[in-house]
Amino acid sequence: MSIELKNEFGLIDISQDTVAQIAGGAAIECYGIVGMASKHQIRDGLTDILRKENFTKGVLVRQEKENLHIDMYIIVSYGTKISEIAYQVQSKVKYTLNKSLGMSVKSVNVYVQGVRVANV
Amino acid sequence: MKSINGIQFADMVQMGAHHLFQNADYVDALNVFPVPDGDTGTNMNLSMTSGAKETAAHTNEHIGKTAQALSKGLLMGARGNSGVILSQLFRGFGKSIEQMDVLNAKQFADALNYGVETAYKAVMKPVEGTILTVAKDSARKAVEVSEDVEDIRELMQAIVEEAKKSLDRTPDLLPVLKEVGVVDSGGQGLVFVYEGFLASLKGEALPSKTVGSSMDDLVSAEHHKNVQGFMDTADIEFGFCTEFMVRFEDGKKAFDETAFRNDLSEYGDSLLVISDDEIAKIHIHSETPGEVLTYGQQYGDLIKIKIENMRQQHTEIVGEGYSTEATKKKAEVHPYAIVTVAMGTGVSELLKSLGASAVIEGGQTMNPSTEDIVKAVEAVGAERVLILPNNKNIVMAAEQAAEILGIEAAVVPTKTIPQGMAAILAFNPQATVEENKNNMSEAYAHVKTGQVTFAVRDTSIDGVEIKKDDFMALAEGKIVLSNPSLKEVTTSLIQTLMDEEAEIVTVIYGEDVSEEEANEFAAFIEAQYEDVEVEVYNGKQPLYPYILSVE
Repeated sequence: MSIELKNEFGLIDISQDTVAQIAGGAAIECYGIVGMASKHQIRDGLTDILRKENFTKGVLVRQEKENLHIDMYIIVSYGTKISEIAYQVQSKVKYTLNKSLGMSVKSVNVYVQGVRVANV
Repeated sequence: MKSINGIQFADMVQMGAHHLFQNADYVDALNVFPVPDGDTGTNMNLSMTSGAKETAAHTNEHIGKTAQALSKGLLMGARGNSGVILSQLFRGFGKSIEQMDVLNAKQFADALNYGVETAYKAVMKPVEGTILTVAKDSARKAVEVSEDVEDIRELMQAIVEEAKKSLDRTPDLLPVLKEVGVVDSGGQGLVFVYEGFLASLKGEALPSKTVGSSMDDLVSAEHHKNVQGFMDTADIEFGFCTEFMVRFEDGKKAFDETAFRNDLSEYGDSLLVISDDEIAKIHIHSETPGEVLTYGQQYGDLIKIKIENMRQQHTEIVGEGYSTEATKKKAEVHPYAIVTVAMGTGVSELLKSLGASAVIEGGQTMNPSTEDIVKAVEAVGAERVLILPNNKNIVMAAEQAAEILGIEAAVVPTKTIPQGMAAILAFNPQATVEENKNNMSEAYAHVKTGQVTFAVRDTSIDGVEIKKDDFMALAEGKIVLSNPSLKEVTTSLIQTLMDEEAEIVTVIYGEDVSEEEANEFAAFIEAQYEDVEVEVYNGKQPLYPYILSVE
């Protein structure tokens, strides 16, 4: 399944993976995020930080009619204000998707899957 | 000053917070990254205020303990990206001096540097050209300078200078800043904090507001935010970007910035006012720049006036023809449309008056292509469309267009103008495309069409001898007769078309027929057939002196 946009010249089809890549890329630029986590980590029982090519595992894109819903699974840095970082991710992802795809995002749900202590 | 203790450090924090608070609006105005929502100053100020409060409540001679309090306050009150980063900078700073009573220059520099390292560790992909960069550059400078400088005042001076230089470099690192023509807002916030630190160490008061070259940055940021909102020139409500300076004069109205701001906000938006004791700089987007200038003159002499027409600039950017009228006119949109084909301006008008959304100019000798039909449908912005070709040679093109369009489309295969008219009248906007197609097809089925045209060469069709330049009559597409006299041809055509059930006769006369002739003909029909109503239209069509219908 993918996301379809129509204009006068024809159809634009954007794969879910593309949206997930853009959302993931926007998220990791946010301060306080140390990585994306797999959404199945509860099942797998480990907090693995995903490599860039696997971002899509930590981003879930759902389309309901006209609306996009994004679920993001993140790992944050210890000693930061987590609620604030989650909020930053939401606003940055919403803004970036809107700017790059012209899509409005109905919801960005952030799941904090872990905290990483930086060994300073 | 060889060292600082907790009490001195607490005072530095208060000054830093205060100076940031004073300039929070300015930092807000600069905010274009990561999201241009203009809240960086507000967020940083809230974070720093929370840190300063906690510091004030737990001030201790022991600098390690005081720094812990700051770190805790910042963490609790962290707001926004820059607020979180600020909290990390001082978290690392505090952590590295936990056990220390006092700090000397070297230790202070190392602690700042440790703070930067901590802040960098909390992010996967540090974006350079932000508060992080400003903190990093100034901390490195501090470590370098502390090798030979023992005086903490001198060290802080060097830190502030380097922070400012680093801030000026941010546009080279972050493209969006360069694009907009501003420095980074979070970095600017940190510079304000450091300036506060320095003022505290020197025991000096700071100017409450920063006036100077900053106006250009503010204007750039303001315009950037504006551009985000305007895709269409017609959306610009206040068309003139107006910038000027007022030099205050004795004997003129006394300047009060708040009142001045409130008054000016009535004239437009994107208002920026920066003032000191001698001058005020003003930037506003207004539809009435003259009135704005007149208002400003009450306070003193106007200097450096610049007014730009933003609609014109915007038009040039988006490349549309500039005209205020044109920008106000939006194309009419018909979600449920009828698109049809006709020859002659009169016929076009007639079809439109009956309910056609668009009429394509075409006809016998210049049939519209599939593409012409597609374009016409798209131009009316239809979501559902019925296409009436009004000519048997265009039916195919219409069918293809309906397939290509990718919207709900159907062709009602009308072959003549009168059929098209009857079909349009049967249109029901509440019905589906399919239902309409059926109803409209039924509606034109009982319409009989007659056409009068010229013969272009000698020939014989359907057993009728035809001479070049004679008039020919066609009933339902079949030749009835050919004759040099228009009157004879039309008379015999109407006789062919008429039957017992005829109620209405429509006469559409072409560009070669005068109104008198047409009315004469109509009078003749009414005289011949008592129960029939005759309607006469000036179709201005070429090639066909008369198009008749009987129903």
